[in-house]
Amino acid sequence: MIPVTPPIGVSPLFSVPLRRHVDIVTARQRARRIAAGLGFNHQDQVRIATAVSELARRALERSGGRIDFGVSQNSEPPLLMITVSGCAVPRGRRAAFVPGRELAAGDDDLVTIERLLDLFHVEHCENGEAIIRMGKALLPASLTERAISNVLAGLVAEAPDATFEELQRQNSELIETLELLRRREAELGDRQTELRRLNLELEETNRGVVALYAELDEKTLAVKRADELKSRFLSYMSHEFRTPVNAILALSQLLLRHVDGDLSAEQERQIGYIRRAGGELLEMVNDLLDLSKVESGRIEIRKAPMDVGQLFRALRGIMRPLALSDAVVLVFDEPPAGLILQSDETKVTQVLRNLISNALKFTEQGEVRVSCAVASGGNQVLLSVTDTGIGIAPQDRELIFQEFAQIDNKLQRRVKGTGLGLPLSRKLAALLGGDLSVQSVPGEGSTFTLALPMETSAGEAPVPAGRRAESSDAILIIDDEEAARYIARQVFRGTRYRIVEASEGGEGAERARFEQPALILLDLAMPGRNGFDVLDDLKSNPETVHIPVVVHTSRHLSPAEIERLRGRHAAVLPKGGSGRREALQVIRELLAEPELFDQEPEFAEPEGGIP
Amino acid sequence: MGDFLLVTIQVDMHDRLAITLQEDLTERIVNDRTRGVLIDISALDIVDSFIGRTLGNIASMSRILDAETVVVGMQPSVAITLVELGLSLPGIRTALNVDRGMDLLRESLERG
Repeated sequence: MIPVTPPIGVSPLFSVPLRRHVDIVTARQRARRIAAGLGFNHQDQVRIATAVSELARRALERSGGRIDFGVSQNSEPPLLMITVSGCAVPRGRRAAFVPGRELAAGDDDLVTIERLLDLFHVEHCENGEAIIRMGKALLPASLTERAISNVLAGLVAEAPDATFEELQRQNSELIETLELLRRREAELGDRQTELRRLNLELEETNRGVVALYAELDEKTLAVKRADELKSRFLSYMSHEFRTPVNAILALSQLLLRHVDGDLSAEQERQIGYIRRAGGELLEMVNDLLDLSKVESGRIEIRKAPMDVGQLFRALRGIMRPLALSDAVVLVFDEPPAGLILQSDETKVTQVLRNLISNALKFTEQGEVRVSCAVASGGNQVLLSVTDTGIGIAPQDRELIFQEFAQIDNKLQRRVKGTGLGLPLSRKLAALLGGDLSVQSVPGEGSTFTLALPMETSAGEAPVPAGRRAESSDAILIIDDEEAARYIARQVFRGTRYRIVEASEGGEGAERARFEQPALILLDLAMPGRNGFDVLDDLKSNPETVHIPVVVHTSRHLSPAEIERLRGRHAAVLPKGGSGRREALQVIRELLAEPELFDQEPEFAEPEGGIP
Repeated sequence: MGDFLLVTIQVDMHDRLAITLQEDLTERIVNDRTRGVLIDISALDIVDSFIGRTLGNIASMSRILDAETVVVGMQPSVAITLVELGLSLPGIRTALNVDRGMDLLRESLERG
């Protein structure tokens, strides 16, 4: 210990609050750091730190306090000043350290602490606490502004108390988080209960839904069955209707042609009415049948090369008689030369006929123009029917494609129709891979366009027309039905052909060999040898293999049956089916006699022509 | 270390940590039937009266549990400060380093 003058004016350096036991460690470490920074030697650093540690513990043992570090530069020598407040020191027990005095164990340890320092002063307070000021002499050389600021910077950088405070803070945060978690857990529990309840509810609803579904399925099935039944009924009825209607038509036709003697003018008119009514009935029945076939997917598209020019020429022949008034001209534009499409000619014709007859119906004046154009960069062929008729209001443009829909207008009331033509046409167009659309300006006219895909690849070549049989004048009809044979006879009456009849398959094949007919009309459903067997016979016999066979049947052919016929027949003519005029056309072509039946246009034109 | 327990104090212990060490050590002595304890305080810069007393306590407790305690590696400045403080660590045997401490323990065990 060296003699010192009392310190005057201490510049504070740093403070450490004493609240917890760890603060003792903080205090002594700071003391050590400050002592090192101020240039004390290692031994003195340990001394100062140990003294601080002892006094800090004293303060804490009571109720805490604080330690202030400072520098007294005015004293001689300058001092590091450490002030500890909050220690408990018994009154009267202070003193000056007496050098050389041995301390016995248990003696006041303040005295021993005093030994570590150069200045030691105890100031008693009212409450029994004391403020202890102690000092350690500094080397003046080490007390530079720079050294002090370095010490301060080091202490600040160490963030006094930071670790513990931080830990404490983090701890309380953790506890808070834990509390939060606990609350959340409780909330979750609640939610889970709620969810469970909802789940139960959902399950119940689900069961309800499943039951509903089952019911719906049942209903769907019932509806489907009803729909099938309807289609079957329609198809069956139409079919059954056709035979008698055909008979009415054919017979009234015969009567009108005065085949069986003259009629009175009144009779003629009446039979004319019968004929017309029959024609309308047949048209309706045919449309219905076609529609039900399309709906049940039983219509089959058979694509073959189709010459549009030829198609237009044929249509012109067929449709011209429908142009009733002189005020309306039916014009066919010349299609692009040599345009051969791969499509089903029968179906295309059916659609176009429908469009043309509609156009003629709803046009009072002007023209109906049929044209053909290639569009979409050569991918599509557009067949259009343009009229100068009454037009269709925008809101009705989709309506007309719905079954049995008819637009109310003055012409509609005059002209008749089933309302099935356009829906059927659109469905056929779709089956052909195309589309049917309409553009119209009310009062100016409409354009219906059948867009077909441009397919030019050669498909199944059509069976060559029976030119080889040119020389023969016989037409063989093999049919067990008397009425059918009768009507066939009537059809060919007045032509150069004579009808050879066979009412049974075996006989038919025999007659075919013997007569070498130009054409054979073959019924499929016959007792004994049926049409398929007869066809087998005909095509396996070199004498008859070349004769074109027109299968003439009232049944719907199944795919298997069609397969059986493939390549071995020239055409299938449905008995009383649609496309009657095309049927006549087929016979014309097969016989290579385009003028056939033309001398009897009335007979060839309407529905009743061929049985 | 065979029958000896070597404790190296690496950090400046606060008081509670020192008490914890004391408790842990006595427990280990009992559980492991340790015959000797070596406490290395070479990393400690400051040994104040509390830590000194704690070391003394450890020594007397282990003696009761039939184990010797040797404190090794005390820094000179610490020794000086302890003496100046008037703490002579009664009942604590000391050695300069771990090797010397081990020798000391072995000797006293052989003797015992």
